[in-house]
Amino acid sequence: MRSLLQKLRNKTVWGAAPVILLLAALPLLSAPTDPAPDVTLDSAKASPRSVEPLTQRSVLRDYRFAWSNLAQAVESNSTQPLNGLFVGTANTWVTDAVESQRRNGLTSRYSNQRHHLQAVFYAPEGDLIELRDSAEYDLEILDGGKTIHNEHARVNYVVLMTPAADRWVIRQMQSVAQF
Amino acid sequence: MSSLTNIPCRSRRVQRIGFILLLSAFAVVALAQDGSLRPPSSAVAGQAASIGTSGSGSATFYLIGPSSTIKRDVQLGQDISLAPKEIQAAGRYVAVVCSGGCTSAPFFVSPAKPASMIFLVHPSRAPVAQNDVVSGVAVPLDEYQNVVLAPTAIEFQLAAKGSAGSSRTIEAKDGVAWFRTSSGKSAGPLQVEASINDVTARRVVQQVASDPCHLRIKGERTPKGIMVETDPVRDCSGNPVPDGTIVTFTAKDGDETSTVDAPVKQDVARARIVAKGPVVISAASGVVMGNELRIGGQE
Repeated sequence: MRSLLQKLRNKTVWGAAPVILLLAALPLLSAPTDPAPDVTLDSAKASPRSVEPLTQRSVLRDYRFAWSNLAQAVESNSTQPLNGLFVGTANTWVTDAVESQRRNGLTSRYSNQRHHLQAVFYAPEGDLIELRDSAEYDLEILDGGKTIHNEHARVNYVVLMTPAADRWVIRQMQSVAQF
Repeated sequence: MSSLTNIPCRSRRVQRIGFILLLSAFAVVALAQDGSLRPPSSAVAGQAASIGTSGSGSATFYLIGPSSTIKRDVQLGQDISLAPKEIQAAGRYVAVVCSGGCTSAPFFVSPAKPASMIFLVHPSRAPVAQNDVVSGVAVPLDEYQNVVLAPTAIEFQLAAKGSAGSSRTIEAKDGVAWFRTSSGKSAGPLQVEASINDVTARRVVQQVASDPCHLRIKGERTPKGIMVETDPVRDCSGNPVPDGTIVTFTAKDGDETSTVDAPVKQDVARARIVAKGPVVISAASGVVMGNELRIGGQE
């Protein structure tokens, strides 16, 4: 009888092991696999000036950083991660969005971001570039710890970027129903 | 015995009735909480709008927009009013109502009519008579700083002192209109204006003389040396070159060559060359060479 009970106990322990392991690994599985946004840029149709390769790299790098920082800002409800990549109207909007989220106890989570950029205008003097961003991401909005909205969003953005001392910064970022 | 069998029967009936009542209550609550949303189909930035709701009972309403987040209590079945200041930023908004469960609906707010513009003009100083040297880019904005993406005709006007102005109308594409033009022939301010209906932005490009075109020098020997000076230095359009333009005088005295750099001051560059023997003096500025001047030796 005793050995039967022991056998049962052993079976229970070994049977529960995968479940325990799975539960332990759950936080890892639910964490975003790649927090860095996936950004591509097509500048073949940019006019009247063609986009120089170095500029393409800088725009791509800084746009990726901007979205990564934006995601951190709205998730942490802090404007510190923005790191100067948004200026003018874009900065006002993002800052206001973060502050009003904080006031209302909300947070937003952007994950699995994909941005396909198309340069449609590059000023003759190279001081303004207009991009169309066909973006895709998972957006989760939480009130406290409760999810109030969760979607896989496809959003189009019209973006104006200008060169600053050592980077390209976002001056306008406006989502539109369609291009 | 009968009493013993009846008791479970009654309790089953009670259980059934209770279950049905519970289901009905859930159904009633679910119907009351059914908060489907009817967002506005054509909201405009800074204009009041409303979101229709269905169902009944109280709920929490959220509006998450490009620059703001709103949270307030609402009654389902009644329209939710959005104040003009709550939808000033153009773009995508997500409306959410939560009453037990949550229902959401995204919608777009489009920009209002143009009220200002970004107007970039380059360069701030441009040499005269140069092809495609002046360019301008205009981006129309509404009063809430949204880019107006709808096709908008923008009129660019260029006017310089002493010449007939020119004007062209360009339709903004994707919210941007631009032009490129040559500079005029006269030095002076070039007024560049961009207008959309009653919205106007002005910039000034200072047109300056181009490089010197002709260079003529004259000189004479004096007790202190040979004094040389240019005629007024002008560009090919006849504009006097700016003060500070450098003219290089070169003096050849036999095998010896000496040079003096002199800045143009009030249209003329002057230099003193010390040489006792006969000398040949020439002048140059930029890519232009002047005449040669032969001065005899000192007696």
